[in-house]
Amino acid sequence: MLRMRHALSCWLVLTSWLLLAPLHAETSDEDRQAEMQAMADRIDALVQARLDAENIQPAPLASDGEFLRRVSLDLVGSIPTVAQTRAYLQDTAPDKRQKLVESLVHSPAHPTHMATTWRSLILEPTDDPLSLQNESGLQTWLRGKFAQNVRYDRLVEEFLTATQGNDGPGYFYAAQELKPELLAAETSRIFLGLRLECAQCHDHPFDRWKQHDFWGMAAFFAQLERPGDNNIGLARFDIVDRNRGEVTLPESDEVVPPAFPGTTVSYASLGGTRRQQLAIWMVSRDNPFMPRRAVNWAWSHMMGRGFVHPADDMSPQNKPSHPELLDELTTYFIRSGFDLRQLLQTIALTETYARSSEAVSQSQAPDELFARMAVKSLTPEQLFDALLKVGLLQPPNAMVENDPQRSQFVARMRTAGKDRTEFDTGMPQALAVMNGPPVSTATNVETSGLLKAMSAPFLSDEQRLNVLFLAAYSRTPNQQELDRYKQFLAEAEPDQQSAALGDVLWVLANSAEFMLNH
Amino acid sequence: MNAFDQSRRRFLQTSAGLVGAASCAWLPRLAAAAAPNPDRKRSCILLWMSGGPTQTDTFDMKPGHANGGEFKEIETSVPGLRFSEHFAGLAKQADRLAVVRGMSTREGDHQRGTYLMHTGQRPGGPLNYPSIGASLAKAMRPDFSTLPNYVAVNPSGVLNGSALGPGFLGPRYAAATVGVRAAADAESNEAPANLGVDFLALPAGVDQKRQDARLAMWKAQQDQFLSSHPSGAAEAQATIFQSAVKMMHPDAASAFDLSQEAMATREAYGKGTFGQGCLIARRLVERGVPFVEVTLGGNGLGWDTHQGNFPAVERLSKELDQGWSTLMRELAERDLLESTTICWMGEFGRTPNINNTAGRDHFPDAWTCVLAGGGIAGGQTYGQTDEAGMEVTDGKTEVQDLLATLCQAVGVDPSIEHYSPEARPIKISEGKPVEKLLA
Repeated sequence: MLRMRHALSCWLVLTSWLLLAPLHAETSDEDRQAEMQAMADRIDALVQARLDAENIQPAPLASDGEFLRRVSLDLVGSIPTVAQTRAYLQDTAPDKRQKLVESLVHSPAHPTHMATTWRSLILEPTDDPLSLQNESGLQTWLRGKFAQNVRYDRLVEEFLTATQGNDGPGYFYAAQELKPELLAAETSRIFLGLRLECAQCHDHPFDRWKQHDFWGMAAFFAQLERPGDNNIGLARFDIVDRNRGEVTLPESDEVVPPAFPGTTVSYASLGGTRRQQLAIWMVSRDNPFMPRRAVNWAWSHMMGRGFVHPADDMSPQNKPSHPELLDELTTYFIRSGFDLRQLLQTIALTETYARSSEAVSQSQAPDELFARMAVKSLTPEQLFDALLKVGLLQPPNAMVENDPQRSQFVARMRTAGKDRTEFDTGMPQALAVMNGPPVSTATNVETSGLLKAMSAPFLSDEQRLNVLFLAAYSRTPNQQELDRYKQFLAEAEPDQQSAALGDVLWVLANSAEFMLNH
Repeated sequence: MNAFDQSRRRFLQTSAGLVGAASCAWLPRLAAAAAPNPDRKRSCILLWMSGGPTQTDTFDMKPGHANGGEFKEIETSVPGLRFSEHFAGLAKQADRLAVVRGMSTREGDHQRGTYLMHTGQRPGGPLNYPSIGASLAKAMRPDFSTLPNYVAVNPSGVLNGSALGPGFLGPRYAAATVGVRAAADAESNEAPANLGVDFLALPAGVDQKRQDARLAMWKAQQDQFLSSHPSGAAEAQATIFQSAVKMMHPDAASAFDLSQEAMATREAYGKGTFGQGCLIARRLVERGVPFVEVTLGGNGLGWDTHQGNFPAVERLSKELDQGWSTLMRELAERDLLESTTICWMGEFGRTPNINNTAGRDHFPDAWTCVLAGGGIAGGQTYGQTDEAGMEVTDGKTEVQDLLATLCQAVGVDPSIEHYSPEARPIKISEGKPVEKLLA
């Protein structure tokens, strides 16, 4: 009902994409596949054109194992099992990559991974228990939206107009303490890719955004209140939109009226509360930022780097590496009905995404040309889940996300930067990984499911090593590795065979090849 | 003090005086030229008083006033400078202490105050600021050595978190935490506190021989990936894990092994976690670690004396006095005090008036911090409060200025900029060093 009112109230002024875009359900599955493949080919053509212009040779396609590991981490947040890897390596179908991508985006782990990714994009990392509570609430809400593949523009609108403290976005409002300036800075960054907050205190000479832009945005959040006595507990509360309350420039009495950044559209022509006015503009076809930001996010999620870098700083001075491609992909995203899942799937189908991350030559091509796949750090969640998988530690049907050991591990390994092409961790964290759980339990003969399974007497050392490498790296060992580890196992005492295999697993689990997505 | 020491001290005073006066463009360069080439690498020890220590019963007493409380004042080695009677050890070394009596801040909540005093910033802004330990360690030792550059001993379980964190600098600059290990035996009341580093020891069942075999294979595995996948992430992973391996080496790990100290030495510091923490701080400074933070009262909120202020403060004061005074004496004996700056503070002070449960409440308006050791002009007070202790009447000091003074004392220009993830340059401290406090 609320939506109807929005749509009607803005009908004369702005047209919502929701009313214009073709309805998703009408497209047949084959048409959709063809559409995605056509766009994937177009992406490859435009990336190649830039490489040709710079006279740079792109990397060859990644091996099957490398591709499987990468696309699993990017789309479902974890590495494949030994059985999945074997099946994929043995599959000879020419379209096995397409089938794999299709099955991954429809697996239940996909919305979970998307929710984890967006939760960490929305909330600053924390190890404060109250804030962690906020995180899990938001995570649940996001997962629900991604599981239904809700249109992205509708997700944004619901997020911006949330009123229920128990609802996911309510946690975001609580985390920002309902402060207009925090809410303006964060919603601009998250949904528009604009870093307006640098203009919070004063104008910067070279920045397009001025102090009035920032506070004009903040004014949309100036009329929020928490009702007097509805503490739902744990720093949560309902949010009420009033019709009074303004923001003023710092150290002055000058009231700044609401204003949308970078456009002349007037808020006053839109109906509803201030937040509803903002939401209408956010999802309207006149909004030049919102879909571009989503596309840039998707590209950087898959490729390690956005067309605009950093991915959440799309200010007009920050030029995209492939402007034409960014425009076309944005149009494609809008026409698809703001279908984030289809967007990710399309990128996963490109040859650009499927390239090896190995260095092609001594001279490295600039990262923004996407000549090879970037090497990315695993998120703390990915690392923890991968370690459980490698050690076969995960009890069946366990709710992994509520595992206190996992929360502890994730809190310890949280990174400040959002650039995953950096490995942003410290010595205390490295110590904890090497000597603490889950590596210690995954590599201990008493606790490791994998080592127990490997103790079967009919297995040869080579077979055991194959399993370890498939589990950790999604590939079989090369000859040098095989020689090295077979010799190590041969030298171990007969009663120390399992322990020695645990040592090999420890080496793999602490290696760069395991801890990175490549 | 012999003649050589005298002249050396004078030299340090003169050059540091110039630093303090630096306002022309060329003077900071002079200071910067002096800083990278000191006789010895400098260090900083932060003595953190969790809960907010009372100034009225420690370093800014009000004898004769109704707010004065139960403790007596005693004379110190510096004429006219008086401390609480429970600081007998510190009183003998008062010439090394500069008492900052005009602290005035605007955060009266534990968590917010802890964040403010550690970062110089009020919480709630768009940026997550690094603690002064992380910032200073980064500025003082840009390279990573075998030992971590920032070590926190017994950080408060209640207030641990963003206040002590590396903020936007990232976890590479996070403190390595030293905490209480499981008691070795049932008579732990008799034995000194058993402190250690999380995850420094090999997991149960793995001995050094096995570890060496693992590391040899690990090295080969790393080299293979690094040569085929040269990238920032792979190189950083290899470097950081290699430094963690170095720290686990018995030579480096022994820095945290207090069983290597004579029992008499351990007892001289006090057997509690704070005294033993001060001893770890001395061992780390000896090995060149730039920043060590030792917490007193971290088990709960020790200094948060809303009720029964006096017995609690007496106990805490004695523990503080024993650890701190032994630390300074031992650093001086090793000729390390000249290059080690000590800062004593908590999240705020406590009300000068005594409440009806014989306690004192949160009070950020007018309170005390203490600076000591290298780079600090000791034997003085700076700033003062009125006779009731309710407001600062002279030398009002903001947290930014205190942190800037601390930076300057350890030879770091407080206006050095570190970069936030959005590539915004952020100064370590926007304050101005208090020249009178600098040697």
